[in-house]
Amino acid sequence: MSKHEAFQERISKNRGMTAKRRSIDGVRNFFTYLSAALAVFVLGSIFVFVFQRGAKTLSWDLITEDFHTVKYMVNFTEQEAGDFAVPDDLKEGEYFSTKYGFGVMEGTDAAKDTVILLTRKAEDSPLHSGVNAVAGDTKDKPQDVPTHVNVVKIAYKNQEGETKSAGQVRHHTPQEFVETLDQESTGIVSMNYQSLGGGIRGSIRATLMLIGLTLLISLPIGIFAAIYLHEIAPKNGFTNFIRTSIEMLNGVPSIVFGLMGMAIFFPITAAFGATTPNILLGAITMAVVLLPVTIRQTEEALITVPDKLRMGSLSLGATQTQTIFKVVLPNALPGILTSILLSVSRIIGESAALIYTMGTFVVDNPHITGRATTLAVQIWSVMSGEQPNFELATAISILVLIIVLVLNVSIKLITRQLNKKWKE
Amino acid sequence: MPEQEKNFNVRDKIDMSRIKRRERTDKIFKTIFLIAGILSALMIILIFIFVGGKGIKPFLPGYEFGQQNLGKFLTGMTWRSDQNPPVYGAAFIVVNTLISAFLASVVSFPISVLTALFIVKIAPKKLRGFFTTVVELLAAIPSVVYGVFAAGKITKMVNSMAQHFGLTTHGGLSQLTVSILLAIMIFPTITSMAINAIAAVDKNLELGSLALGASKTQTNFKVVLSAAKSGIFAGLILGLGRAFGEATAVSMVAGNSMTGPTWNLFDITRTLTSTMLSGLKETSGLDYDIRFSVGIVLMIIVLITNFSIQLIKRSIGGVSHE
Repeated sequence: MSKHEAFQERISKNRGMTAKRRSIDGVRNFFTYLSAALAVFVLGSIFVFVFQRGAKTLSWDLITEDFHTVKYMVNFTEQEAGDFAVPDDLKEGEYFSTKYGFGVMEGTDAAKDTVILLTRKAEDSPLHSGVNAVAGDTKDKPQDVPTHVNVVKIAYKNQEGETKSAGQVRHHTPQEFVETLDQESTGIVSMNYQSLGGGIRGSIRATLMLIGLTLLISLPIGIFAAIYLHEIAPKNGFTNFIRTSIEMLNGVPSIVFGLMGMAIFFPITAAFGATTPNILLGAITMAVVLLPVTIRQTEEALITVPDKLRMGSLSLGATQTQTIFKVVLPNALPGILTSILLSVSRIIGESAALIYTMGTFVVDNPHITGRATTLAVQIWSVMSGEQPNFELATAISILVLIIVLVLNVSIKLITRQLNKKWKE
Repeated sequence: MPEQEKNFNVRDKIDMSRIKRRERTDKIFKTIFLIAGILSALMIILIFIFVGGKGIKPFLPGYEFGQQNLGKFLTGMTWRSDQNPPVYGAAFIVVNTLISAFLASVVSFPISVLTALFIVKIAPKKLRGFFTTVVELLAAIPSVVYGVFAAGKITKMVNSMAQHFGLTTHGGLSQLTVSILLAIMIFPTITSMAINAIAAVDKNLELGSLALGASKTQTNFKVVLSAAKSGIFAGLILGLGRAFGEATAVSMVAGNSMTGPTWNLFDITRTLTSTMLSGLKETSGLDYDIRFSVGIVLMIIVLITNFSIQLIKRSIGGVSHE
């Protein structure tokens, strides 16, 4: 190589180029620099955009919070006002009720409305003495008011003994809310609060379920098909036909896979009790989407296993099946691992096929035979409403990007390792 | 065959039933492998049969939600699913899909080829890995993320561009936005195919050109590119196929016009895929089934595109490698 290049170098340097030639060459080369720089610029601006818009929204709370808000109401068994010391670490904009020992500040909920956010509770605050006030089995069971919820209303007794309410229902700012309680009340009766919502816990769970189910279906079929094609199939027209058919799946747009899922596999999931698009349907569909990838990756892994290993096993009297399971597959394991990582990356990024087969309604407690959204579909879902929610969409995008990029880098590393192993 | 000369015979030690069992397992698994292979191959056929069947249904007599006119579907220039009775004409959608994919490839193709040439032939070795990674990362970004980027950034860019010309847009949703988005999305596809094609060009061709007195840049542009052109055009076709089939990202910025075709770059548009995704609520009825019909049209376009790879390879030729 180096000899080649040195030769080339000498040729082009010693050749006397005219000024015109030189300038034309310069312009041409300049355009290649420009193109490559443009690619870097586009990648950079996507990253900057997503991280800038989404970084603020991305937090642990977002990951653990439900998407839909849930309303709660509690009555208090200890209603008396106490005397609490203002904590030292009060943040700017945070207000502390000295009578009831809790702190609030301004926050926003999933619908981007301003709310009164409960930020802290003192240890013996009456807020710990809540009992469920909603009719049902759990009525009058103790229910501690958690922090990080939206305080809709606190009903209190004023000096005249009348019951009044304070909070969001009276359009109080956090400051007015705390001042009203501390100045007018003698005790608190009940409280209405709701979770903030806008979280992605449900989508994360659905994504994990989808990944598990999909791999459960696509891996055995894909690996077995690859084994058939590489180890068993005779070289004839029929095998060629199978290969071409599998390759043709690669060119099918993913949205058509969505149509396919509904047209072919929906009856199968209906047998499991599904009445709507569901996670199982999404998994079967994704398994078909991933088949060509799994088969190709596995075959490539099988190719790297040296033939002498197979011959050794066969000559010792093992059957072909024994050889495949005990000798070939264990040696092809890193390649199969690559195909799993590639599959996971595809599942996380896929949206069009899943919009058809799993629906776009964000569900907090996904079930295998019910609607759900993956992270990618939740991005689409919050973007395609009347008011696109860029903050949430970009925050989820950060997560998706990080996962997908980490997977891709690990695939690269494993492949490099694999190539090294058999070259030695 | 050895005779029974000694007391000891190794055959007595061989348990025939175990061998038979092993052979039976061997056969069973071979059948399972075969079934897996056939099942995988069957999928593409099932897709054609089932999606095709469901998509044709609305045009057949006796269709439960009212038979549609196939001619009107194929030539119609209006798509109003909100009217009663709804009007489904897909011709302008096909035209708009072709326009946006065509514009995208006009923008993306030269940039992709030049980038590939830069990566393989011009960039210093140390930078090569970096730029290859950039292309790979662009390929790995999921399409929804591209969609969010387009809805947040490209729309604004297009909007200010329109204002510069004294035109207005629907908040940046436009044919141009779709084309720019698609140009970005097919860039890694074309580039990686072009990289492979350029890297496979025979070194001797280059040396020959250099020996004849061409400069290195002349060789790169005239010899290397034309030797690699069949691979490069295959990449272009692959990119076009991706542009036709791209759904979620496009549907975020298309705007879904009701009539067309849209010739104005700053006007909203409607592609086959954005039609299939817009207002998806019920999972039955005419409005749902007609999406399968649109799906067939999309499949046919993608198929024609893919088959033309073979044609292009034959007619353009290029120089066979090695």
